[in-house]
Amino acid sequence: MSPRAVCAGFRQQAIQFFTDPQWIIPSLITPFMFTMVMLFLYKDQMDGPVVLQAVLGGGVLGMWANTVFASSFSISYDRINGTLEPILISPSGAYSVLIGRSIWSTAIGLANALLVFAIAELMFGTGLSVADPALFFLTLTLTLFSLASMGMLIATTFILTRRGRILSSIMEYPIYVLSGAMVPITALPEGAGMISLALAPAWGVDAVKHAAIDGYSSMFGVGILEDSAMLAALSSILLAAAFLVMRRIERKILETGSATRY
Amino acid sequence: MTGTLRILAATSRNMFVNRFTVVPPAYWAAQILVTSFFSMYFFSSLASYVGNPEATAQYVVIGNAVQSIAATTLLSVTEIPSIEKHSGTLGGLMQTPAPLFTVFFGMSLFSIFTGIVAVSASLSFAAFFFHISFAGCDFASLLAIIAMTCLSLTGMGMLLGGVGLHLRTSAIIANVVAYIGLLICGVNFPVSYLPGWLQTVSHCLPLTYAADAARAAVGGAPLSELLQPMGMMALIGAAAAVAAWFVFRFFERLLRRGGRIDMF
Repeated sequence: MSPRAVCAGFRQQAIQFFTDPQWIIPSLITPFMFTMVMLFLYKDQMDGPVVLQAVLGGGVLGMWANTVFASSFSISYDRINGTLEPILISPSGAYSVLIGRSIWSTAIGLANALLVFAIAELMFGTGLSVADPALFFLTLTLTLFSLASMGMLIATTFILTRRGRILSSIMEYPIYVLSGAMVPITALPEGAGMISLALAPAWGVDAVKHAAIDGYSSMFGVGILEDSAMLAALSSILLAAAFLVMRRIERKILETGSATRY
Repeated sequence: MTGTLRILAATSRNMFVNRFTVVPPAYWAAQILVTSFFSMYFFSSLASYVGNPEATAQYVVIGNAVQSIAATTLLSVTEIPSIEKHSGTLGGLMQTPAPLFTVFFGMSLFSIFTGIVAVSASLSFAAFFFHISFAGCDFASLLAIIAMTCLSLTGMGMLLGGVGLHLRTSAIIANVVAYIGLLICGVNFPVSYLPGWLQTVSHCLPLTYAADAARAAVGGAPLSELLQPMGMMALIGAAAAVAAWFVFRFFERLLRRGGRIDMF
């Protein structure tokens, strides 16, 4: 892995973010709308913990959406713009570039979570506070790591298809449902709950809520330590899978010369 | 008149061919079916989790079925000029003698078709997966509401798309307007929950009338009882379409005068 290429990938994704403002749709607009829907549904029962749960859910949902969309779109844009091939044949390798991009997308997801938090606080003024700020920060960082890993796997897998954009659109709502960010996994049918168990960020949502909400009842029936351990383990698996997929794809593309086939 | 019809036929045909060349029909159908189903599932689960007695399964599911028209028709009509700009084909279109408004209206027929497919899929899901009863439904009323909703949202989409001619991208406007229905149009909870000023905004949007009218039609209301919301949708859609015609003319002239057709 080349740190310089990681930085370049990060910088390039940042420039693209500010040049093409439509990224604020999955980062901010969608999670904000969903958070507000949940808050209005609560109507008269709205108090501190309820608002916190809705805001945390909306924030994590935005991080999810941003990861999925940014990862898939970045490869699609490379394909459309003809920049995928130069990235793949560069000596530093595409993996480093994709890591840089995923870090940026995840960081924007964090900024989105904070923004949703701030807007909700301004609108509802319920004096939001997290139960354990240090643990909250730690679990949020771990969740970000899991999202970056997920983004890496999506980005590398989508190199195989020119339909990354539409696939990410198809994945949008199922991911919202399965993440457990707004509706707990316990409220889903049994089969859907099983899928969520394999999703690292779903454990992240549980860990973050544990750290933020006093007396939170876990979606998986476990404590914050188990949540964090599962989060770290699944994220590492995702990252390793992304690395292996990338190696295979690079080799295949170099053998067949099919990088920009469209 | 014949010329206009020929333009509409040619542009709508091209749009069908273009869309299905870029996105195969199977992916297109998968996107509509999966999004329709899971959006209804997401919001009905959310409402059920919160336990608000007014946001019943029927209320939320029918609301989201109607919202699927906004998420497809309104969104894609608004994005058409912006996509042409990004693809570098706007200049070519502007060189033809055909008026841009007519060209883009022809292209938007594909979006109307998509909206009808999306709402049909959503209502089927409502019946078969969410167990919403259509036993007393007045299907003629429901069909009329769907058709009117598609047309009025196309008018709004044309208006917003016209503004998109001038912008780098209309995707943000398109998404805000397409998804704001979830919040302010009575899709997931009654409009009366909103602050007064937002209720006023809500009553300027056709989706508000569409969601209420669709629920009434599913409950068995005949078309004669739904003339008021139908009339409001027609009025708003027509006003938006007329405004869109002027907006297209204005920005088309502005782009030609400044030579900024492909400027980003």
